[in-house]
Amino acid sequence: MKPISQMTQLELAAYVHDHLRQQGIDVVLSGGSVVSLYSQNLYVSKDIDLVNVAFTRQAKLRKAMASIGFAERERYFRHSDSKHIVEFPSGPLAVGEEPVRDVQEVTLETGSLRVLSATDCVKDRLCAFYFWDDLQGLEQAVLVAQQHAVDLAEIERWSMVENHVEKFIQFKERLE
Amino acid sequence: MLEPLLGSTNAERALIFIQARGEGYAREIALFFETDLYGIQKQLDKLEVGGILVSRKVGRTRLYVFNPRYPFLAELQALLAKALTFYPETTRTDLTMNRRRPRRRGKPDEANLADDAA
Repeated sequence: MKPISQMTQLELAAYVHDHLRQQGIDVVLSGGSVVSLYSQNLYVSKDIDLVNVAFTRQAKLRKAMASIGFAERERYFRHSDSKHIVEFPSGPLAVGEEPVRDVQEVTLETGSLRVLSATDCVKDRLCAFYFWDDLQGLEQAVLVAQQHAVDLAEIERWSMVENHVEKFIQFKERLE
Repeated sequence: MLEPLLGSTNAERALIFIQARGEGYAREIALFFETDLYGIQKQLDKLEVGGILVSRKVGRTRLYVFNPRYPFLAELQALLAKALTFYPETTRTDLTMNRRRPRRRGKPDEANLADDAA
C-alpha cells in the first residue's frame, strides 16, 4: 500500500472510504474533491468531504479514523503525514432540496470510492452559485461540465425546482 | 412549543429567532430570551454541524442564517412560521418589528429624542 504521505487527495479519500466501509460506516465523497475527479485535477481542493449518509455517530467515526492515524479537532480530521483535511458533513446526501439517487463508484490504487455523479457534482457546485452568488462554485460547475458529459436537461429541471432558472442560463451560456 | 420535537428549548429559541429575523448571533438571541449564552451557543453549533444553519464572521461576531442547502429547509421554515404565530403577541412583535433600516452613526436614537421632548 502506498504510504499516506504519497497519496493524492482522491487516493486518500478512497483509502479512508474503504477503511470506513470495513467498519460498516457508509460515506460518499462530495464537495470540491469531486470536482478534482471530474476535471482531471484541473481543480484541486485540500478538503475531503465524506458525507455521513447513514448518520453514524461521531464517536464511532472518531474511533474508526483514529485506528488509521487520524486525529479529530473541531470535527475535522487530520493525519500527521498528509496536508489534506477530512470532514464528515452530516447526511442526508442531497443537492439543494432533492436527494441524490445516482451514486457512482470509482476504483483507485488505494481503494474504491463512492462519489456523486458528474451531473450531481455540477448541481452541488451550482448550489453555491445559486444560494450565495459564489463565482468559484460557478467556475467549478463549468469546469466539470466542460470536462465530463453531464445531463444538462436534468440540471435545468433541478434549477427550476430550486427557483434559479436565470442563474442556470448564465451557467449554460458559459458552456457555449 | 417545539421543544418536545427539537429536544431543546434553546434550539427552539435559536430557530424561532432566526426564522423571525433572518439571521442572529448567540448573544442577541440569549439576551432576547433572557437565557444563558452558553446554552444558545451550544445549540447554534449543533444546528450548524447538522447542516441546518450556516455561519460567517462579521467582525468579531459569528452570524447564523438558515442553510439554503438544507434539504428540509422549506418544511422546517413552514413549521417555524406556524409555531411563531402561537407565540405571545408581545414576543412576536419584539421579534419581528425590530429596526432593520440603517441609521447614521452618531444620530441620536428615537427613544432618546422622545425623552428629550418630554
